[in-house]
Amino acid sequence: MNNTNNVAEKKSNTPILIIGVVLVVALLAGWYLLSSPKTASNTNTANKANAANTTKPNTIPANAPQGANPPNQQGSPTALVTLEEFADFQCPQCGAVHPIMNEIKSTYGSRIRFIFRNYPLAIPAHDKSYNAAVAAEAAGMQSPNKFWEMQNLLFTNQKAWTADPNYRTTWKDYAQKIGLDVAKWENDMAGIAAKSRVDEDMRRAKGMGINSTPTLYINGVDVPFQQMNVTGLKALIDAELAKAAPQNQTAPAAPANTGNTNK
Amino acid sequence: MTEPEITPAKRTIAKLPLAAAVVALAGLADAVYLTAHHYNAEPVPCGAAFDCEMVLTSPFATLGGIINWFSPGMMAATGSVSDIPLAAFGAAAYFVAFALATLTAFGDRRMWKLFGAHVVLMAAFSGWLIYVQAALIGAYCQFCLISAATTFTLLIIFIISLFLGPGTTKIAESLD
Repeated sequence: MNNTNNVAEKKSNTPILIIGVVLVVALLAGWYLLSSPKTASNTNTANKANAANTTKPNTIPANAPQGANPPNQQGSPTALVTLEEFADFQCPQCGAVHPIMNEIKSTYGSRIRFIFRNYPLAIPAHDKSYNAAVAAEAAGMQSPNKFWEMQNLLFTNQKAWTADPNYRTTWKDYAQKIGLDVAKWENDMAGIAAKSRVDEDMRRAKGMGINSTPTLYINGVDVPFQQMNVTGLKALIDAELAKAAPQNQTAPAAPANTGNTNK
Repeated sequence: MTEPEITPAKRTIAKLPLAAAVVALAGLADAVYLTAHHYNAEPVPCGAAFDCEMVLTSPFATLGGIINWFSPGMMAATGSVSDIPLAAFGAAAYFVAFALATLTAFGDRRMWKLFGAHVVLMAAFSGWLIYVQAALIGAYCQFCLISAATTFTLLIIFIISLFLGPGTTKIAESLD
């Protein structure tokens, strides 16, 4: 009887033992995969999106295509800090980052140069993305401000038109809403010039090895994904401002000089 | 009503929880691999029909990305936690499923109810992640699909047990 109880007691620890062994093995396996010689040199875990792509450098290559020229830009072209965004109008995270960009632009005004680059991803779920970029560029052909107004409407209403089979009618409503010459806008959408600008931006993005959106660069340095928030971006921009011109740190923020209407 | 005692002389291991434990182990291995991939930044081997990097480097692969999707303003508050890969949470979830299934297999039937609740939540989240791959990212990752298949297998095992009982079919294990 005593022997039986001992056996039962011994057996009752078996599942705990098995669970413990599995936990230890899982932790050891994870540790082994992390510390294998092949990967030991790469300890940058800050930006998975960038680090995982072995072809994408952390800085903009010197020979990267220049993109659409002139770019869609706000702030001051001579600012000490340039923030360059590559975005896709159907990318949910780009839509989420859009208000953050607006706040950054509003905060820094002419102390930064903000450049927006079209990078519509060629994936089935983003079937309207390229045309959306062309729609924004076509709006910009009437006035730079109109590009930003259309860009703002496309991002803030992203979910609505993405799910709308009559999205072109919706865009036409946007064009009317921001006071475009709609006939000219439609004509420009069908033309080569607007598409060429989108293509130029895409060529730059591909040349830089970008494979996901949104991708941000501050003074040519890739911004880790987890820092794509107001606090993170401010920290990076402030550091660049301090580095570039320490004497200007106390200068008050000036308003943007290109009519930011994105709010 | 107390749980039935397990007779020491003829202890049994319930077959369905045992199967669930084995499946959960497979899911755990998959999730540990993806977690390590996240931190060592090595590309994973990917089939021609998949685009693993597109999925694994998307914002939806991290806790911050998920939080940002549901509540954009909250991402700043998550700090460094935001870069924790979703696969790490998957590994933890599979480990819990394994532990619950193992405890059930060795006689603690109460754990099976917890296991059921756990895998229902896991399957719901896996379903959403498949939607994310299909509708929001537009690409699939084979390791993510394996994980989803593993989770749904656990759910199916649990559903079967509702009709048969977790210990209906048992593997006899002699203590002698």
